Amino acid sequence: MNRRFVPWISLLLLWSLLPMLWQLISSLSTAEALVDGSIPFLKRWTLVHYQELWASDPPFWRYLLNSAVVSGLTTLITLVLAIPAAYGLARLPQQLRQLLRWITAGAALFPYVLLFLALLELARRFSLGNNLIALAMPYAGLAMPLALLLLTSAFEGLPRELEDAARLEGLSLWQRLRWVLVPLLAPATASTAILVFLFAWNEYPIALTWLSRDDLLTLPVAMARIAGSSIYSIPYGAYAAATVLGSIPLLLLVLICQRQIVSGLTNGAIKG
Amino acid sequence: MTVLLLLPALLLMGLVFVWPMLRYGWLSFHADSVLTGLNPVANGGANWIRLLDDQRFWQDTLQTTRFAGVSVGLEMVLALAIALLLDQRWRGRGVVRALALLPWALPTTMMALGWRWIFNTPYGPLERLAEVVGLGPLNLLSTPASTWLVTVLADVWKTTPFIALLLLAGLQTIPEDLYSAFRLEGGRPNQALMSITLPLLMPYVLIALLFRGAQAFGVFDLIQVLTGGGPAGSTESVALYAYLNAMRFLDFGYSATVMLAGFLLLTLAVLVLAMLLRLGGLIRPVQS
Repeated sequence: MNRRFVPWISLLLLWSLLPMLWQLISSLSTAEALVDGSIPFLKRWTLVHYQELWASDPPFWRYLLNSAVVSGLTTLITLVLAIPAAYGLARLPQQLRQLLRWITAGAALFPYVLLFLALLELARRFSLGNNLIALAMPYAGLAMPLALLLLTSAFEGLPRELEDAARLEGLSLWQRLRWVLVPLLAPATASTAILVFLFAWNEYPIALTWLSRDDLLTLPVAMARIAGSSIYSIPYGAYAAATVLGSIPLLLLVLICQRQIVSGLTNGAIKG
Repeated sequence: MTVLLLLPALLLMGLVFVWPMLRYGWLSFHADSVLTGLNPVANGGANWIRLLDDQRFWQDTLQTTRFAGVSVGLEMVLALAIALLLDQRWRGRGVVRALALLPWALPTTMMALGWRWIFNTPYGPLERLAEVVGLGPLNLLSTPASTWLVTVLADVWKTTPFIALLLLAGLQTIPEDLYSAFRLEGGRPNQALMSITLPLLMPYVLIALLFRGAQAFGVFDLIQVLTGGGPAGSTESVALYAYLNAMRFLDFGYSATVMLAGFLLLTLAVLVLAMLLRLGGLIRPVQS
């Protein structure tokens, strides 16, 4: 390693990790230690906040499960709709394709929080509130622009001759997609899936307005609800523990899939 | 056949993106609140006239624009530094890149409350430090100026990694030969930054600027959880104001007006910015 960079790298890591490290320390501190700096070092630590989270009603893992269900389903729906659509887009005449690409990029830029009221009306009209499966529908719609941008440019990157050859072999459209094109798109599909999953996992305003039942809340809403419960007596110890537990799945995801995340983010922005 | 493949995805997108805008357009010419028994009643342009005269809306627009401008500006500078660092060759770069990306991956609401704890008076680490040094109490989250700074900091902390990655991708497209040629011509390394790196990186900077600018203008999660718009409305954003109109004041007609107005102002800002950049010759065709 080049020694010249060590201070800068340390600075970068401190900046990124210190706030989370403070959450970790807080989550392991006793309620007294959180408010009193004079308690001796060895008497400051406890696991009680984690036990509280497990014993609360609903238990904390329930929120993780809810988020996992919505995010998993969103990813599935988005991919099922976006893969054929991206194929269709890539096969359109140049000008129409360009137009649709601009529209999709515009939708991807859109600060979607502004849509919440109309979506909430839809939820009320069709009784879709408090339903995790229904929530995946608007999520898939909101994630669609990004998925289309990523997958369309991936389809465009495949050589035309490949598909023509498969067609000459007598493969139907479905067979061509299933056996030739989609397997070649596996890397782009993986990136797309992870980014869509992250979007759904972190989404807040729509979940906030669609869900009200305690046992159905997704992680971001459950976290915010603790904040709203009382400004002056937020249970910071338990909250910090929740932050730590809530971060672990993401920490793993980012560490394992960072290559896909990075390529997805950069391709989405550049080719789109 | 192609149309059939496209249709489901486009329909869903239309339902989620286009329908709300049409609905807001319609709602913005109706009174739909507790006063009308939550039924829409046409009221001409009353919502729009109210909006033009609504101090709080224009104050929020100003605040949101300022927040977006300063946050994105800071993010851009920091991200460039990080991207330059990650573009160098050193061992462990992959792990550091993943760890630096972590703030971006966490839910905003989760860290928003984390920041409230960190800047808490009197128990947060900063307050304790200030007390030891003899500066305290700082009351960081009860004075408008410092609360605003905290919101900017939280946004910069979360989204800088995202921009850094975009810029890093841009850096990696610049051929090494350009730098060697520059050195052969007798250019100094720090001049290379100004005359090669930055000009070639410009398209990426603009994409990041556009994307982040629009997102920052729609800031909601962070403000709602970290400050609730306070103290005294000094950090309230347009999106939060629209949310409060609908969910707290139960005035759906006006909420729709606020959101549509926010959308129109944002579109206008993007168009004007794009035009200025084109006039300034900064936008060049990006190869796709």
